[in-house]
Amino acid sequence: MGMRNRNRDGGGGGGGGGGGMDNACYVYPIRPAEVPALDSDPDVVFERGIYMNGSMNMDDGNTVTIWGFTDSAAGGMGGGGMDGGPFPSPAMRVTQGQVAQTRLNVGMMMFHTIHHHGIEPEYRSDGVGHISWDVNGTYTYQWRPMHAGTYFYHCHTNTVLHAEMGMYGALIVDPPQGPGTAFEGGPGYDVEAIWAVDEIDSSWHTLPWPAGTCGGDVGLNELNPDYFIITGVDGAQSALTHPDVAVIMYRGQRLLVRYICAGYLPQTIRFGGLTAEVVASDGRPLPRSFQATQLDAVSAERYDCIFRPTRAGVHTVEIDIKHWVTGAVLGTARTRITVL
Amino acid sequence: MRRRVFLGLTSAGIASTLTGVSGLILWSPRAHSATVSKTFYITDGFIRQPDGVNVYFRGFSNSTSSPDVPGESIIVQEGDTLRITVVNTLATSHRFVIDGLADSGTIGGGQTRTFEFSADTAGSFLYYDSINAPYNRVTGLHGALAVMPADSSEELYAGSPTFVQQYFWVFNDVDPAWNNAVRSGQIPNGNFVPRYFTINGLSGRPPGASGAMDPAIDSMADPRTRIDGHLGDRTLIRCLNPGMAQHSIHTHGNHMEWLSKNGSVRAEIWEKDVVPLDGNGGIVDVVFPYEPPPDAWPPVTNNTLQQAESDGRHFAYPMHLHDEMTQTAGGGLYMFGALTDFYYHSS
Repeated sequence: MGMRNRNRDGGGGGGGGGGGMDNACYVYPIRPAEVPALDSDPDVVFERGIYMNGSMNMDDGNTVTIWGFTDSAAGGMGGGGMDGGPFPSPAMRVTQGQVAQTRLNVGMMMFHTIHHHGIEPEYRSDGVGHISWDVNGTYTYQWRPMHAGTYFYHCHTNTVLHAEMGMYGALIVDPPQGPGTAFEGGPGYDVEAIWAVDEIDSSWHTLPWPAGTCGGDVGLNELNPDYFIITGVDGAQSALTHPDVAVIMYRGQRLLVRYICAGYLPQTIRFGGLTAEVVASDGRPLPRSFQATQLDAVSAERYDCIFRPTRAGVHTVEIDIKHWVTGAVLGTARTRITVL
Repeated sequence: MRRRVFLGLTSAGIASTLTGVSGLILWSPRAHSATVSKTFYITDGFIRQPDGVNVYFRGFSNSTSSPDVPGESIIVQEGDTLRITVVNTLATSHRFVIDGLADSGTIGGGQTRTFEFSADTAGSFLYYDSINAPYNRVTGLHGALAVMPADSSEELYAGSPTFVQQYFWVFNDVDPAWNNAVRSGQIPNGNFVPRYFTINGLSGRPPGASGAMDPAIDSMADPRTRIDGHLGDRTLIRCLNPGMAQHSIHTHGNHMEWLSKNGSVRAEIWEKDVVPLDGNGGIVDVVFPYEPPPDAWPPVTNNTLQQAESDGRHFAYPMHLHDEMTQTAGGGLYMFGALTDFYYHSS
């Protein structure tokens, strides 16, 4: 099947490079005449390339193919895509009110985008192909976050597959006073954890990037996860102690957990006997915080949780990933909060 | 195309209270309650899915022809009496139920039943067939009812945040094997594995696809589903889920104000870019405020929208379910699932 690159009015959107794109349908090349001018003096620029040959080592000894974004300013791949990279993708951290630019470099005759989830920019910086365009080459998104809180970014091209493959990373907006305060007028914190909880169906992780976009049944209606992970670490065992996930803190300190439901299926997180003060969700302070020993979440929800443990102890945090129809627990990811 | 039909009132001399303008519902409160009559025909037939597969459905329909899935949305006001007539054109028994509000009782094959009930509570309600649960409901026998507070055209409940226009998004998940079993009078055996995902009975057709922007089949074009507004046009969206799966409603462009869950007013209104929608009859009411996208640089103003229109560009954002399996059809076809768009227009 040939390419069908169209703009949203149904006219010819331009070939976008011809062959070699694995017969992708319904992708939308950049229309240069519509690209907006950029601020010449941004406060922060994020450089992101693509990797398509990463892997994640699981506790059972298997490895699963992972795709993601590299920090190309820090020496990551510039978009060629044939190597591996960090999983999750490198976090973006920006201060409320800063003008930010995200420069995405996509090579190798593919299409990808970056959608800064929960950030609400002008539509051409929103990273949604059918509204604006998918990126083959280089494109710069511009945004100015106005609400401190927890967000994430992910690819929005063939999203069902690309986000499952791992193309996401955390996005944190700090208030003007910087890290250490959740939001203006909000609580302070001494220790911070980002828990992006996700499920992996390894049978999806052998598909090519445009799988299903031209039709054909490639099973993307059915997610049967076999791994349950926290911030890129297997939640079967490794996340209990992995320093990027597990928290070690002292009594009297305040911990901010930025919990991101990064998978597609519903989750329940239990805090191992600790009580959270839930102060914000989806990048917005709650009108009134509340206390919780567990929370339910659906795909892409975020909850900012403050803990002030007063006694030493080890708390095993468990996140159940549940079937979207039956509610049956399909698997549980675990990590720890150790209070010294 | 299945259009909203405007309800006639049985009381002669009372002006019609429903007006349709380009898919927007304008509600004019009445000083007095009324009896509102509506006839549904239970019918069946096949509806073509995005991958070309024809799938069997039953519906509470506006005529004896092809099934309307979902049934037409109804808006009344507190204190009204609804007089519903259900004409069951099929051989199987069915029932019209609104939990806590209405129950037709069993309507045998070929029978007609008229019944009345009082709409005494403002809010959003699901009507559905409770027989052979959940199979008849999931096979298409469902729809939405809105009860407006008395004397108010701009509130979900008395004292709620206000809006200027309102929409219904009725979501469903479709497993053709289940629908086929219902067709042949069998109980589906096997797990529910949905292959199609709809909003108001439609699914997306991305630009370039056959049927794109056809309001009869494209959920991004259907005026009942796609939302159009100007800056400040606060929009109430009543989201109902007669389907089986729990979903994650995600809007781009603005956070939603989350007003209610499953018939209960939320004690506090949270601003969310994701709102959970339970399966098996879950209902949430949200307001999309149509504010300028807050994180745009430079800021978006009415002039920005005028410039876009002058350039022939569409200023829009999607709503899609974030449990992304819902964005597919037939196991592939990303963007042929349950999604639609918000269009921003200049004033």
